[in-house]
Amino acid sequence: MSAARGILLAEDDADLRLALKLSLEAAGYTVATAANAQEALAVQRREPADVLVTDIFMPEGDGFEAIDAFRREFPATRIVVVSGGGQRGKADYLAAARLAGVDATLQKPFEIEVLLETLRGL
Amino acid sequence: MTLRSYLVGLTLATLLPVALFAGAVGYFLVQEQRETFRTGAEARTLAVLTAVDTELQASISTLNALATQRTLDAGDLVAFRDRAQRILATQPHWVNVNLARPDGQQVMNLRVPAGAPLPNIGELDGSFARLRRTGKPVVSDLAVGPVLKGWSFAVRVPVIRNGELRYVLSGGVRADSIAAVIKAQGLPGDWVGVIVDRNGRIVARNLAPLATEGQMASQSLRDALARSASGWFRGSTIEGTAVYTPYRRSEVSGWAFAMGIPATTVDGVVSRGFAFLGLGFVGAIAIAFALAHLVSRRIATPIGSLAGAAVAMAGGAAAELKETPRIRELRTLAAALHESSHAIAERQELVEREKRALQGSDRAKDEFLAMLSHELRNPLAALTAAAHVLKVSDPAGDASAKARGVIQRQTKHMARLIADLLDVGRVSAGKVGLARERMDLADAVSAVASEWRGSGRFDRHHLSLELTSVWVDADRARIEQIAANLLDNAVKFTPAGKGIRVSVRADGDSAVLRVHDEGIGLQAEEGERIFDLFMQGRHAEGGMGIGLALVKRLVELHGGTVAAESEGAGRGAAFAVRLPAVAASGAEVEPEKSLPGAARSVLLVEDNDDTRHMLEAALAAGGHSVRSARDGAGGLALAAQSPPEVALIDIGLPDMDGYELARLLRSARGCEGLSMVAITGYGRPEDRQRAVEAGFAAHLTKPVTPERLRRALAELP
Repeated sequence: MSAARGILLAEDDADLRLALKLSLEAAGYTVATAANAQEALAVQRREPADVLVTDIFMPEGDGFEAIDAFRREFPATRIVVVSGGGQRGKADYLAAARLAGVDATLQKPFEIEVLLETLRGL
Repeated sequence: MTLRSYLVGLTLATLLPVALFAGAVGYFLVQEQRETFRTGAEARTLAVLTAVDTELQASISTLNALATQRTLDAGDLVAFRDRAQRILATQPHWVNVNLARPDGQQVMNLRVPAGAPLPNIGELDGSFARLRRTGKPVVSDLAVGPVLKGWSFAVRVPVIRNGELRYVLSGGVRADSIAAVIKAQGLPGDWVGVIVDRNGRIVARNLAPLATEGQMASQSLRDALARSASGWFRGSTIEGTAVYTPYRRSEVSGWAFAMGIPATTVDGVVSRGFAFLGLGFVGAIAIAFALAHLVSRRIATPIGSLAGAAVAMAGGAAAELKETPRIRELRTLAAALHESSHAIAERQELVEREKRALQGSDRAKDEFLAMLSHELRNPLAALTAAAHVLKVSDPAGDASAKARGVIQRQTKHMARLIADLLDVGRVSAGKVGLARERMDLADAVSAVASEWRGSGRFDRHHLSLELTSVWVDADRARIEQIAANLLDNAVKFTPAGKGIRVSVRADGDSAVLRVHDEGIGLQAEEGERIFDLFMQGRHAEGGMGIGLALVKRLVELHGGTVAAESEGAGRGAAFAVRLPAVAASGAEVEPEKSLPGAARSVLLVEDNDDTRHMLEAALAAGGHSVRSARDGAGGLALAAQSPPEVALIDIGLPDMDGYELARLLRSARGCEGLSMVAITGYGRPEDRQRAVEAGFAAHLTKPVTPERLRRALAELP
């Protein structure tokens, strides 16, 4: 396994946030969390992480905003998008995220092994 | 054929008989006028002739007076001559006086000296013979006398002595004396008045008197005179002018008067009449045409525009008329058209609205499916991650404990989601029965709020509770469902750091649950629609659109109402549920809450390992002794070893169903007083009913929470 890296987890669902944090910590990562894009940006400024794992749909600043801001402010930070699929109509937001140039996308629910594999592959 | 030509045709059809009648009347009037003119002309002819007769009569009278002279008695011609000479002097038109024997031999002639030989004038014309035949005065024809050169005529009277004709006394009269009489009649300038003698020779004529005196009259006049003594004919004058001529022969003189009226004058009267008639006829038709045209336009124009409006209506436009038609029937038609145009517009709008509603509900369904995917994927992701943590972490460690908490909450959350999903359809179809009990609304709300607080779902909001006990007759599970959905809704739409107020209180006959948030509020137009199924109101930020729909249906099932209020977008929203309040039955509740429930020996039969383990843990935590089996046979074996007090049985077992197991257990030795609780995946009334029939004392629907399990056991006898 590569050197433990700092991960910032942006996810509005408290339980999912907690479970992912526990899983990643169990895998040896240092995990900071945020409930929305603005919070994520604030945390990142305080304590830059190597990878942003973010949901797409969150209240008060969604994942696309986070991606935008991170790409501008922290170009070196890798981004993994996790989403439950389209909420607004039938648009494929994961595809949109891929186009936005993120490093990886995962559709919920996903096996943690897959997430870990993805992180290792970055 | 246009309407206009029909109307014009109608007008003509009406006009034609009138025109024919008018023509006939006009024709008779013209004929009448012509007749009147002719009668007038004939009367005038008679008048002229009478004047001429009077003139001649004057000469006859004078001669008669002379004829009575005594001097003739004895034949004293000298003395008579003298007397005659004097008379002649008094008559300006006379030119001569002579006396002849009845055979015509003159015996005296004032133009010839006395004693000179005198010619016989008896055969000059028929006048002597006529006088001899009738014995009355006669007038001779016009002649150039042998003595007196120039046209003249003679008036002859008989001289009777002793009853026999002795002499014939004649006065020679100049023709122009008659001309004077005609002239005095004042005939119109172009009329030709003419006196002709028996021979048809002109005695006097008002036109060119000198040139025509003594000439023969026109052939046509002479022919007419030969035919009858009076009449009317069309001929021509000696100058060749076409004339209508009334004429009459005098009985006194045998002469005739004819009055030539120019044909142009007479025909003018007629043709003027016909001209007037024709003009009137043509004028009437022209006016009729004009009026028909005008009237037809009044009719055809509005009909045309009505037709245009109808065509426009067919094209979907509103039927508008520039002006209201003046014809009443057309006004009625226009009004009817206007009304049906409105009706069509309304119907179209209705169709449009329904179409939009359909499209809206179609879109809502699409969004719902997307939302459902999101809502289910999130807890699944959390469960997956938590399971992973349990797998890799120390089971006794803090991480595992947290992961178990996640699993517990998320399964419950999912269970609620799925229950909601299934319920909303069943409630809508009226398939949900309520297991009503007398319960404290505040208690149920408090339980949900506590559970949520425990799971950290209120961590980001300020929650305040104001709960006053109010009792309702309701299904506890449903009331909790209502409260949970309202809280979920409030949490979902309220930004972090804002407040959510929950209150329960009595208001008159009602128990009111009110959830007030400081969230994004409602748009004015969202109003009632927020309770529609799949309606993701309050922006598209979350929710499956079933929570509020379910709340509304459940509340209504309880005989209550739910209302949403908001002062507008961004100003928060309040949802108030009103249920009929009932009297408190205080005695029942307190023990239930206070008593922990007696410890029992429990037999658990459940084939799902996770569920079995969870239930074992929960039962153990409640102080009960537990033995468990994973199938019916195992359960029976355990019961045979030592009869339990309570059996907790899953209905869906691999070797036999729960009902069968229940039957076998009850008949087992030592199990007569056994209390049984069924666990099923279904909460349908018929499932409960079947459970009761099979001898179960209680029925729990999966997932079974420790709290519900505790309550069920406490309620067992």
